[in-house]
Amino acid sequence: MEEILRMENITKQFGDLYANKDINLDVRRGEVHTLLGENGAGKSTLMNVLFGLYQPTAGNIYFNGSKVKIDSPAQAVKLGIGMVHQHFMLVDAMTVFENIILGDKNTKGIFIDVETRKKEILELAKRYNLKVELDKPISEISVGAQQRIEIIKALYRGAELLVLDEPTAALTDMEVEGLFDVIHKLKEERKSIIFISHKMREVLHISDRITILRAGRTVKTLNCCDTCSEDLASLMIGRELAPTHYAKTAQPGENVAEFKDVSFNSSSKHNGLSHVSLKVGRGEILGVAGVDGNGQSQMAQIITGVISPDSGTLDIKGSRVSVYAPRGFIDNKVAHIPEDRNKMGLIPNMSVQDNIVLKSTLSPQFSAGNGAYLKKKAMRDYSLKMQEKYDIRCESVEQQVRNLSGGNQQKVILARELEGNPDLLVAVHPTRGLDIGATRFIHDTMIEARDRGCGILLISADFDEILEMSDRIIVMFEGKIMGEFSGNNPPIQEISLAMGGKEADSI
Amino acid sequence: MDFASEMILSTIRMATPILLVALAELYSERAGLVNIGLDGIMTFGALAGFMICYLTGDPYLGIMAGAFGGVLINMIYAFCTITLRAEQIVYGMAINIFAPAVAAFIYRVYFGVSSTLAQGTLMAPLAIPLLKDIPFIGKILFNQTPMVYFAYLMVVFTAVFFSKTKAGLNYKAVGEFPRAAETLGINVIRQKYIAAIICGAMAGIGGAYLTTCYVNTYSDGIVAGRGFIALSAVIFGRWSSSGVLLACLLFGFFDALQLNLQVMNNSTPYQLFQMIPYLCTLVALSVFGIRRAGPKSSGKPYYREER
Amino acid sequence: MKTKSRLLSVVVPFVAVIVAFGIGCIIIAALGSSPAQAIQYLIIGAFGSASNIATTLVKATPLIFTGLCACFAYRCGVFNLGGEGQFVVGACVSVWVGVTWGFTGFAAILTCLLLGALAGGIWGAIPGILKITRGLNEIIVSIMLNYVAILFMGLLYTSLLREGSVPQTPAVPEATQLPRIFSDIRITWGVVIALTVAIVIHYFLFNTSGGFRLRAVGLNRTASRFNGFAVNKYTLASFIVSGGIAGLGGSVELLGTQYRLMSGFGQGFGFDGVAIALIAQLNPLATVFIAYFFAVLRTGATTMQVGTGVPTSVIDIIQAMVIVFAVAGFALVRMPQIRQYISNRASKKEAV
Repeated sequence: MEEILRMENITKQFGDLYANKDINLDVRRGEVHTLLGENGAGKSTLMNVLFGLYQPTAGNIYFNGSKVKIDSPAQAVKLGIGMVHQHFMLVDAMTVFENIILGDKNTKGIFIDVETRKKEILELAKRYNLKVELDKPISEISVGAQQRIEIIKALYRGAELLVLDEPTAALTDMEVEGLFDVIHKLKEERKSIIFISHKMREVLHISDRITILRAGRTVKTLNCCDTCSEDLASLMIGRELAPTHYAKTAQPGENVAEFKDVSFNSSSKHNGLSHVSLKVGRGEILGVAGVDGNGQSQMAQIITGVISPDSGTLDIKGSRVSVYAPRGFIDNKVAHIPEDRNKMGLIPNMSVQDNIVLKSTLSPQFSAGNGAYLKKKAMRDYSLKMQEKYDIRCESVEQQVRNLSGGNQQKVILARELEGNPDLLVAVHPTRGLDIGATRFIHDTMIEARDRGCGILLISADFDEILEMSDRIIVMFEGKIMGEFSGNNPPIQEISLAMGGKEADSI
Repeated sequence: MDFASEMILSTIRMATPILLVALAELYSERAGLVNIGLDGIMTFGALAGFMICYLTGDPYLGIMAGAFGGVLINMIYAFCTITLRAEQIVYGMAINIFAPAVAAFIYRVYFGVSSTLAQGTLMAPLAIPLLKDIPFIGKILFNQTPMVYFAYLMVVFTAVFFSKTKAGLNYKAVGEFPRAAETLGINVIRQKYIAAIICGAMAGIGGAYLTTCYVNTYSDGIVAGRGFIALSAVIFGRWSSSGVLLACLLFGFFDALQLNLQVMNNSTPYQLFQMIPYLCTLVALSVFGIRRAGPKSSGKPYYREER
Repeated sequence: MKTKSRLLSVVVPFVAVIVAFGIGCIIIAALGSSPAQAIQYLIIGAFGSASNIATTLVKATPLIFTGLCACFAYRCGVFNLGGEGQFVVGACVSVWVGVTWGFTGFAAILTCLLLGALAGGIWGAIPGILKITRGLNEIIVSIMLNYVAILFMGLLYTSLLREGSVPQTPAVPEATQLPRIFSDIRITWGVVIALTVAIVIHYFLFNTSGGFRLRAVGLNRTASRFNGFAVNKYTLASFIVSGGIAGLGGSVELLGTQYRLMSGFGQGFGFDGVAIALIAQLNPLATVFIAYFFAVLRTGATTMQVGTGVPTSVIDIIQAMVIVFAVAGFALVRMPQIRQYISNRASKKEAV
């Protein structure tokens, strides 16, 4: 098979940090080549270099045999490289059609020739078995459909090489099957695909060859048929990792939180809850599995008092909640690790110290006269203690928290939320985007809290995290609970199906 | 002329500068730049227009000078907010202080400080041959200064541009989701600068209109907050050119109303009438301007290479 | 780390001033005068005698108030551009109380000041309430209210409270005017009030729990809400308090300097206050210094015009350029490439 792309000794530096160092990658025509690696291994950076969004600090790129310099996405597109980003590049306010033709330079004329363009797109879609509804606004279509649009966008611009960045992160199992069908069709038409993922099961299913990245460097390139998931795992991580085995709670304590028939925005499939009932007990972790966008955000925000349900009730520690405001919940020892730490959890321009004591400035420990005088020294001493206890890596506690890495930012939030010995901890994607070390630390800390009697509602799209941590598992799909399962020897296949919408018989 | 015709005539005349500036802001915000310095740009455009008109006797050259001056000032705003990524609201305020100061300075240096205002040339109305003979509305709508026609043509042009052309679609994407636009090969930075040029030119023309078509003098307070009223028109008109047109006609109406009421009613203190446009802007906003919903990335700085 | 950013916050405005003055001197030279002489007169005008220094302080006082108004509001993420309106409304209420209420003396002064602040607070609350209940843009609302306030003031001094044929209100009786601190210099207790307010605001923002939370709300509204802060309460409070500060400033200006309302009262103070707060990077104490600097320019400008014929509007331009360059400068040093450059220089120094 001929080679379509070669990236040679690519290095990309950000200040002192090497996101990519001496990376070598080659892709053949008509193959599915997977880039495998942990979060932070450098996969997205490399692809941004390929797509002209970043300029490499060193190295060369050859496309179709000739050396190229890719200055901008426009140029990448002209060469024939199409990118389907992990976070879709679709304009909400515009329709599917408008998004597909956006930025088009090939057609002549000032006015949009709606008829002709639509015909072209529909023909293209048919060829690759991609279903599209051209006149719907983006805000109204499902995640799977959005991904199809991104693929059409790339094909419409004549892409020969498609890069799919973590394409299955937000898809149900059924939608993943559909995607794989499309990939096979693309291969038939001699298109090449770079498939970026950290999910080994899928990688082994779909790839021809696999290149593993670790800490910004290429580890190895091998044929898919020559390997298995254990090998890949150790190559990805770089050492034999003893799989973690947290002991599961046998019997949860009394209820810390109980949802009774809660509905919120129930007509919406992706941003609402429909008649949800659940319980979280003391000293147990209830894992909420499910692909992002099935009502988990709303669940988290109701149980922490940020929004109030349209119907149904919530009890915290046995008493009925009448007012939904975060203040009351916080006073009632409900802790929250929010899904977007920079938007919801931290004040990025304030210091690490300020963020650690954020909720506690009225307490006598940090202020005199009910807030009239802040005890700065006490705040500082406490922050230094927390920095050590939670292993927060930063230059000083006076540093602005936005300068810390994601993992350390999350630790700041942990320090703040767990020190008060909460009764209920709501953790939403707590380890998303974090490296192995930080992830392990956060999991250990959460288990410790559980063992101290805290009830934890763990919401995560990371299936492995749910399996590892949960004592009980429930599955969310389109705002409803699809089933409840034990966390001890969980029935993985049933849970998977539930995540894809098949209602299970509960235990 | 009877009161009704007089009112319609004044409404159109007084809506025009607001319309020009509101369209300017529309072009700016559609590219993600919230420009609150319009008042300042208008002032400078007014000065530039007046000066050139006074010196050359040609109001059309004055209008072009106004456009040029507006672009000049807005380039400062553009550079600082697009390239330096200064906060747009903050920098708009800086322009609101800077531009009028420069305008006042130039006027004072040239004309000195005197109580009588220098007089320029007023632009003559241009009647459109056939249309002006339409009974009743012909005299009112089609016997205006050409700038009025220009403003209304711009409304049509803007509507067509944004809804039916490729360039318009790409333009809108820059204000909605610049990163996505970038990945599709649209040069976001260049588009923003172009938007700033259009905005500066239109706002400058709006200002120049005040000193070449509306009156033929320049004084420090001539803009009287119209830049901010234009901002409300964009919100009130929900970022569509037809909505903006209606909003500006409404504000023009109130402006005309207060003038005519002053003339008709000598006993009531004139300040009460002068308050009408401002209070009506407030009322209109309170009733219709709930939770602005403009272009999604409006107001945010754009970083090419974000880590 | 912290000292480096502190250093930059002082360096940037300083450089902005130098550059602005540089361009100003070129303009002065182009007008045919000597820049050196112009600057000389400027300095004499502001610092040349005890009386000049007093005048500068008197001119700085209202700017300190409007600067603090903008500063406090912006700390909570609120763009209160209605400083001028709030200032004027405070003065209107004060003149009304002082002239028509019949009692004079210390009680009258206190009443005027308090009611003036209250009036400013109410005027500031209007955009606040509209923002919270209907999501209206406070910039437009507050600026519209500026014009309404100025027109209302015009109403007062041309008809409702007019003194004879001249369009101005009667003067506040002498017993109700702010007394001087030293009998032979023109400085009144107004300056002391302004400085006190600055110190109180500074203390509140940085040494109390309330101020801490207010700043948090200004920096990240969403996170503040998630962490249990009453975001709307703090927002409304900042509108009211900042309006109150400006209203107090209007009262002080009336009772201490102008004694009556007339055309042009309070003109430009509002926006200047915003500029001052921005250059001072929202630090209340720095606001005092920058306000003083602006006053120096204003006072010196008159002397400069008398002495050299250079029009005062040159100073207006210089002042405006300082703002333009300072804000641009702050944005410049925040840029990633510049940050990189600065930290490289710093680490090289440390390595050596």
